[in-house]
Amino acid sequence: MEGLADPDLAAALVAGSQDALAELYDRYAPLAYGVALRVLGDPARAEDAVQEAFLKIWNGASTFDARRGSLRTWLLTAVRNRSIDYLRGRAAHERQEQELVPELVEAGARSDPWRQVSLSLERTAVREALTSIPAEQRQAVELAFFGGYTHREIADMTRVPLSTVKGRMRLALEKLSSYLQGRGLVDV
Amino acid sequence: MSEHEELEASVAAWVLGAVDTDEAELMRVHIDACAICREAAVRLRRAAGALPLAADDVAPPARLRERVLTAAAASRGSLATSAPRRNEPRRPVRMTPRATTRARLPIYAAAAAILLALVVGAVAGDLIGRDSVRPPTSTVARFAVVGNQELAGARATVIDLKSDGVVLVDFNGLPALRSGKVYEVWLITSDGRADPAAVFVPDSNGSKVVLVNRSLEGYSLMAVTREAGPAGSDAPTEQPQMSGTIT
Repeated sequence: MEGLADPDLAAALVAGSQDALAELYDRYAPLAYGVALRVLGDPARAEDAVQEAFLKIWNGASTFDARRGSLRTWLLTAVRNRSIDYLRGRAAHERQEQELVPELVEAGARSDPWRQVSLSLERTAVREALTSIPAEQRQAVELAFFGGYTHREIADMTRVPLSTVKGRMRLALEKLSSYLQGRGLVDV
Repeated sequence: MSEHEELEASVAAWVLGAVDTDEAELMRVHIDACAICREAAVRLRRAAGALPLAADDVAPPARLRERVLTAAAASRGSLATSAPRRNEPRRPVRMTPRATTRARLPIYAAAAAILLALVVGAVAGDLIGRDSVRPPTSTVARFAVVGNQELAGARATVIDLKSDGVVLVDFNGLPALRSGKVYEVWLITSDGRADPAAVFVPDSNGSKVVLVNRSLEGYSLMAVTREAGPAGSDAPTEQPQMSGTIT
């Protein structure tokens, strides 16, 4: 299973292969747990969020479409969303926002060593991009994405008009998009 | 500012999941119909999807791997390929008093009598396990455990993985516990001995997949009570809130 690309791994998940699930876990669990822990700050709830995200992939593997994004992106989005649900004390079925299904161009179809190298490059790029944008823009995005706050809550917390918060979020994501696109990490 | 301009200004917040519920639905409808906002949403969503990569790797507890694989096996009703060990079994405790705990004898004896009587009564009252179904295979058996009284909305599916000697219990609809309390699973023999099998706290959805790391051989009923946490009790201290036949 180690060398399987995402579509093949997804096919194995659909077939009910526990080995495939174990491989998916071994590939991304530290990253998934890191995301959950950053959002929740609570190891026990982070475990629950990660478990539920993996189960979501396991039970929904038949809907995986490699053209829409990678298994990794799907998994991490699920981890983040479930963690935010925990943070806000709501059930997953109450989620009104659409699922984030980004289309990062990453190492899904590459071999295992390349996957590691590519992941490292992507992470470096994302962190560089975030540090390159103004602090107040980065703060707005991080409070929303990792803190689970709404734009209105962020406006109240930071004591700036709601329109300013919206603008900061927009600018931050536009810059992040441009930065990643410039490095060939997102589709045009 | 036009409605479009107002909503367009919230696209970034929307892809970050940072709008209120009502506004999210409004945004969804608008973006479905507005090519400009849809294009922006797609572009910004790609960027937002990269944000998890800003988090640091953190090694999860070793038990989480087994939890995930166990829950996955339970969710599809397939055989687990690796035996999970989250809830370690504790020494079986008979519901008869021990010589060294004379002071607790009446409590244990009463608890044993109450539990057996109530469970038997519940069976007679058709409260439990009515839809228990045995699959044709002899390697996996399923049973239903249902709640009553304060846990009337709770249900659990017991999946007996005979070849692995473990049992998975998939709980749903459990109410939140009071602080310091846990749910405790009991396996009960036909002569009324209740052995503690697992303790757990459900997640915020009232769900939990619990591992009972022992065979159901020799037991006729499964019951659930609320006990003092984190370790639970040696014997039930209240009436069973969930129960079902496991034979």
